Amino acid sequence: MTYAVVRSHALIADLLTPERMRSLSSADGLEEFMTQLSSTPYGQVTLDQDVQPSVSLERTFYYKLAERIVKIVDITPAEVGELLRTYYYMRFESINLDRILRGKFSDATVQEITGSLVPVMAYAAPNYQALTEAADIDALLDMLRGTAYDAVAKKAPAYKQYDAIWPLQLELRHLYSSMVLKAVKDLPPDQRRLVRRIIELEADIENFLAAVKQSRSPKEVESGKPEEMFDTTYGISAEILRLVAEGADLRESVEHLDTPYSEILSPIYEGDVALIRTRLRSQIYTTARAVRAANDFGLNPIVSYLVYSEIEKDDLVGVAWAKEQGVPVEDFLKYLVVPNV
Amino acid sequence: MDLKRSIVFVERGTEFLKLKRDHLAKELSESIEVLRGRRKLLLDNLQEAYRAVQAAYLSLGPTEVESQAGSIRSTLDIEVLPKSVMGVQYPYVKIVRKPKVESELDITLSQASEKVYAILEEIIRLAEFESRVERIADELGKTNRKVNALENTVIPDMKAVIKFIQDKLDEEQMEDLVRMKLIGGALASEK
Repeated sequence: MTYAVVRSHALIADLLTPERMRSLSSADGLEEFMTQLSSTPYGQVTLDQDVQPSVSLERTFYYKLAERIVKIVDITPAEVGELLRTYYYMRFESINLDRILRGKFSDATVQEITGSLVPVMAYAAPNYQALTEAADIDALLDMLRGTAYDAVAKKAPAYKQYDAIWPLQLELRHLYSSMVLKAVKDLPPDQRRLVRRIIELEADIENFLAAVKQSRSPKEVESGKPEEMFDTTYGISAEILRLVAEGADLRESVEHLDTPYSEILSPIYEGDVALIRTRLRSQIYTTARAVRAANDFGLNPIVSYLVYSEIEKDDLVGVAWAKEQGVPVEDFLKYLVVPNV
Repeated sequence: MDLKRSIVFVERGTEFLKLKRDHLAKELSESIEVLRGRRKLLLDNLQEAYRAVQAAYLSLGPTEVESQAGSIRSTLDIEVLPKSVMGVQYPYVKIVRKPKVESELDITLSQASEKVYAILEEIIRLAEFESRVERIADELGKTNRKVNALENTVIPDMKAVIKFIQDKLDEEQMEDLVRMKLIGGALASEK
C-alpha cells in the first residue's frame, strides 16, 4: 500500500498543471494544440485516419487514462485494488454497455458500435465483440443474464413496455453505484469517505438531471414513474426528485438544497445543463483536494490521482474538440475544470 | 361594335389587374418586413442552438454525442403541398412526424436537440415564406408588365383602331350623304 501511495504522489506531479491546461486551451488551432501536447507526458500523438481528429484524440486520452489506472491498480493491495477495478473498469464498462445498447436500439452496424466504444477490455461483461454482434437487444440482454449485469437483463419487460432503453440505462447506472459502494464497504471507515462522496454526489446530480428531463418531456411521451426512476438516492431525496419531475419550480427546488448541491445545480436557472456537469467535476476535484489536505496517506492520494487523471482526460477531450471546431477559448473555458481551479 | 365591347372588357380587366398589382405590392412590402425580422430572429436562435450543441460536445465528448445522436430512431418527416394566395401558388411544408428524442438523449443533448429542432422548423417556415415572397414578387412583376402593356400598348392600339374605323365610317357616311344630295339634286333638276 505504501508503495502505491508513494507512486501516486509521484504520478500526481506528472499531471497537467492549470497553467499548462490554459496554454493548451489557448493554442492557435488543433495543430498547435498537438505540438504543445507533445511536450507533455502525452508525447507525440498520431491521429487515426478513419475518424475525425477529435475522436482519435479522445481515444488517445482514454488510452492514457486506462494506462494510468492499470499502473496504480496493479500495485495496490487486494481490497483497494478490487475497489479501484470496480470503480474504473465498471465505469468504462457501463459507458460501453450503454453505447452497445444504443447501437442495438438504433440498428447501428457492428463497426459503428465498435468504433464508439471506450478502448478497454471487458471487465464483468462478456466480451464486447460478442455483445456488439448480438442480433438485437433481446439477444444482448440474454447474454448479460447470469453475469454481474443480470439486473439490467431483468429490466427487459420495462424496455419492451416503454419501447425505450432508458430503463436499461438507469439500471446500469444504479448497478454501478451500488457495486462501487459495496466494494467501499470492505475498506476501513476512514478510507471510505472520498469514494463514497464521489459516487453519491454523481448519483444525486444525475438523478436530479433525470428529474428535470422528465419534467420537460411532453405528456404523451411515456416515461417511468418517479419511484421507479429514483429508487437509489443519497443527498437529494426521492421526494424532491418527484416534485422536480412533476414540474416544481426549479429555482425554488435548487435553493432549498444543501451545499454543494445548490451551487452545482445553479446553472439550471440559465438552462446551462452542461455547466452543471462541469461544476460536478469541479466539486469532485475540490473534494479530492480537501480530503488529501486532511490526510495525504492511505487511499486518498491514490483515488485523488485517478480522479485528477479522469478530469484531465475530460478537459483534454473538450479542448481537442473545441480546437478542431475553431471554438474561441472564451466560449469553452468555463466548461473545463483544471484551468479554473 | 365587337371591338368597342372588347375595349370595355379590356379596360375593366386592366382595372382589376391594377387592383391585384396594388394588393400584391402591399403584400410584398409587408412580407419583406416580416422576412427581415424572421431572418434576424433565426440568426439569434441559430447562435443559441449552436452554443447548446457546443456545450453538449464539450460536456459529453464527440464520441458520446455521436453515439447518442445515432440512437434516435424516429426522424423528421415532411410533405410539400401547394398553397395559393391571390392566385399565386407557393409550396407549403407540412410536418408529418417530429423526431422523438426525449427518452433517447442525455439532458444536455436533449436540450440542444430541442433548440436545433426549433431552428429546423423555423428554417422550414422561413423557406416557405421566402418562396411565397419570391412568387409574389414574380407575380407582381408579371402583373405590372401586363398592366403596362394594356395601358400603353393594347388599349391605345385598340382605341386607335376604333378611331380609325370611326373616322372611316364617318367619312363613308359623309360621302354617302354627299352622294345622296348630288343624286337628290340631279333628280330634282330632271323634274
